[in-house]
Amino acid sequence: MLAQLLVKRLISVIFVLIGLSIITFTLSHIVPADPARLIAGPRASADTVKLIRHQYGLDQPVYVQYVKYMKGIFTLDFGTSLSTLRPVRTDLGRYFPATAELSLTALLFSLVVGIPLGIVSALKPNTIIDYFGRVISVSGLAIPVFWLALMCQFLFFAKLGWLPDGQRLPINTAPPRSITHLYTIDALITGNLPLFWTALEHLVMPAFVLGFGVLPVITRMVRAGMLETLGLDYIRTARSKGLSERATVMRHALRNALLPTVTVIGMQIGVLLSGDILVEIIFSWPGIGRYAITGVTQFDYNAIMAVTLIIGFIYVFMNLLVDISYLILDPRISYS
Amino acid sequence: MTTPSTTESIDPIAAREKLFNGRLALPDSRGERFKRGLHQFFGGKWLNVLGVFLIALFLFDSLLGPTLAPHNPLKPAIYDQLQGPSLSHPFGTDSLGRDVLSRVMSGARISLGVAAIVLTIAVTLGVLIGGISGFFGGFIDDILMRFTDLFLAFPFLVLAIAISASLGPSLRNTVIALSAVYWPWYARLVRGQVLTVRTREYIESARSCGCSNWRLLFRHVMPNAISPVIVQVTLDIGYAILATASLSFIGLGAQPPSPEWGAMINDARAYFQSAWWYITFPGLALAFTVLGFNLVGDGLRDFLDPRTRGN
Repeated sequence: MLAQLLVKRLISVIFVLIGLSIITFTLSHIVPADPARLIAGPRASADTVKLIRHQYGLDQPVYVQYVKYMKGIFTLDFGTSLSTLRPVRTDLGRYFPATAELSLTALLFSLVVGIPLGIVSALKPNTIIDYFGRVISVSGLAIPVFWLALMCQFLFFAKLGWLPDGQRLPINTAPPRSITHLYTIDALITGNLPLFWTALEHLVMPAFVLGFGVLPVITRMVRAGMLETLGLDYIRTARSKGLSERATVMRHALRNALLPTVTVIGMQIGVLLSGDILVEIIFSWPGIGRYAITGVTQFDYNAIMAVTLIIGFIYVFMNLLVDISYLILDPRISYS
Repeated sequence: MTTPSTTESIDPIAAREKLFNGRLALPDSRGERFKRGLHQFFGGKWLNVLGVFLIALFLFDSLLGPTLAPHNPLKPAIYDQLQGPSLSHPFGTDSLGRDVLSRVMSGARISLGVAAIVLTIAVTLGVLIGGISGFFGGFIDDILMRFTDLFLAFPFLVLAIAISASLGPSLRNTVIALSAVYWPWYARLVRGQVLTVRTREYIESARSCGCSNWRLLFRHVMPNAISPVIVQVTLDIGYAILATASLSFIGLGAQPPSPEWGAMINDARAYFQSAWWYITFPGLALAFTVLGFNLVGDGLRDFLDPRTRGN
């Protein structure tokens, strides 16, 4: 039963991925500038441009180009980056771990803070903690992430000097031996505690800013789910049979209350990945978002479309994971 | 009020309430309904009041801001660069000596303009495509919804960045990019609404009276499917303003010397350690505007939801 559903979902995901490639392909072809001219440079002769157009297959029919493009995607060949002059694949390999580390930490932060905050707000409505939760949810949605990032930089770096203003590590520090490519984890594995603290210090502010945009939705959903669940009959039963409040809440109510939250996490990953681009720019975080935006000013469409595609892949894949976990968490639901 | 000519009660509402034991069983007049609606929306809900106040401030600003601005928002004043807040420049001045208050006031109109165009396009497309899809169903529905899903497969700001990067940096292209990423959400929303409304009995009875499909869709189904769209538009005006600012901040949207808020924050980045006012005020304007639309959107959701309207 579960396997059947998985196959069904996977097939629909494949269609979505083909769709993603069509969109990025179309986008890189509505570019007003002539890509051959961009590669050749401004001083190249008309013959050189023609030659390059032929070399890169830009003079072939669109469907031939698309097939070539798809072949490239399957072999992870996204062409050459016009800004770094390296293959885009190499660049992505270099920059992606930074993005992964930042986004995952931000997600973790929003869950670790958001879920307890939501639970407590629901258990003690109209108390200080509940108001605090509401202020956070309202401001987290309204405050622009790039502005919050700059304000935090101003306060914690420029004024207080508590945290560094960006980068993953100080310039003169060598990164830990690459195992997972996540600096904090690698430093822990190799047992280099001082390096771990340095990496963490650099990670705290960007992750907080990024997670702050997701936090409100998580808190809100947990609070609403919890309030609804606590009013249900089986909770009253649990209480009346003498179960402790703690066991009632943590073991009986929480699991059902978290279900609606799981569905929004998929959506929130989109918010996270969007915000990630802005946060990376501000904190000079060497991830794929910053890589893509640096490419914008240099018309590096190969890089921009590769990053767009990768982010689309991650988004679709994470949503698939969310759907599956939802299925496992709630046996009542079957996707037909 | 007219003078009483008989001995009967003069207040029709009071009379009716007496008649029906305090329960309003007769349909209200339009004015009464409006008054009661206002009371329900604002009564004791200070967040709704705050939201409406913030939106009013923003609208006032976008209508009259450029006229009321104390200084020219675009004209540089070389000797006044990066001055802190003072009486003549309450929000200080920017890197070219322009008055930050005047620029913030003038920026509202740009944000409102972009948001209005984007949402008009998005809602029109969404209502058309979602409406047709949900109403006719079958093959048409499949095709239209698969097409819609393509756009929803990307996080929306990422797609907007990719589109406006391909088209080139300008405010016009930002409008195109944002319209392209917003309409699918409306198509999905409207389709879902239409699916629930079209099975109602009054639709059936209109159909049996010989109503044509298009008339049925736009005169009978749509008006009953639209209230979640109103809520969503209210919320999205705020988010569209935020997205425009984000694109401008990256350098893709409004270009200098435009006083668009995101573009101002982008320019202010270079001076944030020495001139806190330059970056603070455009950001606050942005945050309070989005907050206003957020609060009113949430308030409207509660207000328009028939499940919560009664109590």
